[in-house]
Amino acid sequence: MLELTGVSHRYGAAMVLKEISFGVEAGEKVVLLGANGTGKSTLLKIANGLIAPSAGQVRYRGEAISPGALRNAARNRRFRGRAALLFQNPDAMLFNPTVLDEIAFGPRQLGLADAEERARHWAAALGVGRHLDRPPFGLSGGEKQKVCLAALLVLEPELLLLDEPAAALDPRSTGWLVDFLAGLRCTVITTTHNLSLAPELGRRALVLGEDHGLLHDGGVEAFLGDRERLLAANLMHIHRHRHGLVEHRHFHVHDWD
Amino acid sequence: MHIPDGFLSPQTYVPAYAVCAGLWVLGMRRLRARLDEETLPWLAVMTALSFVLMMVALPLPGGSTVHAAGIGLLALSFGVWMSFLAVSLVLAMQALLFGDGGITALPVNALAMGLAGSMAAWWTWRGLRRTNESLALFAAGWVSMVLPALLVALVLGIQPAIAHDTAGRPLFFPFGPEVVLPAVLLPHALVGLGEGLLTLLGHRYLTRRRAQPA
Amino acid sequence: MNNPFADPGARRDRLALLAYALAVLAATLVHDPRWLAGGLTVTLLLAGSGAGGLLSRVLRTVLPFNLAVSMGYLMLAWLRTEPPWQTLLLLNLRVLLLTAITFLFVRRVNLFRALGFSRSLTYLLGLAYSQALTFRRAHEDFRLALVSRSPRRPGLMDRYRVSAAAASWYLEKALAAARESAQALRSRGFFDA
Repeated sequence: MLELTGVSHRYGAAMVLKEISFGVEAGEKVVLLGANGTGKSTLLKIANGLIAPSAGQVRYRGEAISPGALRNAARNRRFRGRAALLFQNPDAMLFNPTVLDEIAFGPRQLGLADAEERARHWAAALGVGRHLDRPPFGLSGGEKQKVCLAALLVLEPELLLLDEPAAALDPRSTGWLVDFLAGLRCTVITTTHNLSLAPELGRRALVLGEDHGLLHDGGVEAFLGDRERLLAANLMHIHRHRHGLVEHRHFHVHDWD
Repeated sequence: MHIPDGFLSPQTYVPAYAVCAGLWVLGMRRLRARLDEETLPWLAVMTALSFVLMMVALPLPGGSTVHAAGIGLLALSFGVWMSFLAVSLVLAMQALLFGDGGITALPVNALAMGLAGSMAAWWTWRGLRRTNESLALFAAGWVSMVLPALLVALVLGIQPAIAHDTAGRPLFFPFGPEVVLPAVLLPHALVGLGEGLLTLLGHRYLTRRRAQPA
Repeated sequence: MNNPFADPGARRDRLALLAYALAVLAATLVHDPRWLAGGLTVTLLLAGSGAGGLLSRVLRTVLPFNLAVSMGYLMLAWLRTEPPWQTLLLLNLRVLLLTAITFLFVRRVNLFRALGFSRSLTYLLGLAYSQALTFRRAHEDFRLALVSRSPRRPGLMDRYRVSAAAASWYLEKALAAARESAQALRSRGFFDA
């Protein structure tokens, strides 16, 4: 469904992504792992047709996707109705006067007659139904995240790209999010640098290494069991500990930073 | 209003740097008297704020945009000296870190936008706020854009008179005030309307925020 | 306080800052196009393998303003029937030279190290810069989020709302960041020194 071939990207002189190629089939749940600064967010923005990669191609259902290609109004409408991106900073997505308007923005743009009804439905599904008349700016971080999700899901996309959706959530909300995503029928790619969450977000893992290339594409469990590659991805590091008078070294995974 | 380097003569920018240096020292003293040890963090963050406010686009019908500078808002909300220093630092940052904007034009821009713009906004607001608060805020924003444009245009316009070779040919900016003034002032009088709007809405927003307990 | 001359890199950057200031001054005191062209050549040679990229970036930066000024001057000179070429060459060469010197300086010199002699100035510029980068990234996200969420071209009112939401977000974050940085400074004992 989504196909990336040889995607590289640089900001000025800095290499952000190096020759990334992978495909995602309909219905897959994929988790995109990588240490901070390995280019996860940029990769999602490229896959969402927001940034033109320096080299390489993105295809969605066979159609080329890039800012240039999406200047075509019909193609833009088709793609934006099917593929949605949740930004890491939910504030960047919120601009409407009320939560109801925020969620109804997409359907209204498409001229759907039942825009408000849909918005109410998805607000309830995500548990923000009681805030419909409030401005989204005043909500807590977790609630903003849910409003953003509702605003994306209201268009019933086929492909959902989620950029660190758990970063701003407390453990209970994180548990809720994991269950909620598992119940969704659409294809989901979720980025995280939180290893303990990875197996719950998908069975297939894409891992970006510190050289900004694709370090692993395969089972989550297989990757998490591979100490060498966890170290290489900078997702694990070695600690010195003291037990009494004996000093020794540990491998360590930091989940909550 | 970004003048590249090479259009202002040293007879202009060297004295402008001298005046600026004195005012920067004075401004820092004024800020320290008010903010004490919080001066540096506040000034740094206001600089970043000023930097990004200059990036905020005011949409126009038809898909195009204009950019405000946020100087009226900065001056009314945080004072003239804070605004002057923050704008000076933004110009320095743009010139020396982002490679965007001239280093010789810096002191002229700092004095025109940062100081004259901020003071004009402040006094316009003080003068009009008893008549009508909204009008005062809007006019303050408009003036903070138009007066600096006028000053920069004048400084550019006198270049042929103060810097020319023996044959009378210009060495730096080649047009006199009769050409520059209308060319610069007319567009800025329009962009100033956006600046007025930003000042009005931004200041109201901040006042409302301060009224609520944090 | 640490000795500002202890670090040879810092010393080099400080000398580069001084050299840059002198070069800018010199480029505005010389009015012979041959000297300016020579200066431009030297600057490009100093840029080494990056010369091509430097020159194209300089051209892109100065083109709009210089083209407008040059065309205007050409028209004026034509009306007055005097040859404009000497002046046009001088003006454009000077602008190119100054911009090239600045870009080379920005590319090569670590400004924070060059300003290392003043702890306050380094702190001020460092915090302002990192905060500005954060804001710039957020600014890009506000823009992209609207594109991403819009199956159709967003209307005037929507674009206006996004600008308003972004501006108020920056104000909010700026106020919070200023308070937080002041507290951080205090806990680090910055004011005790």
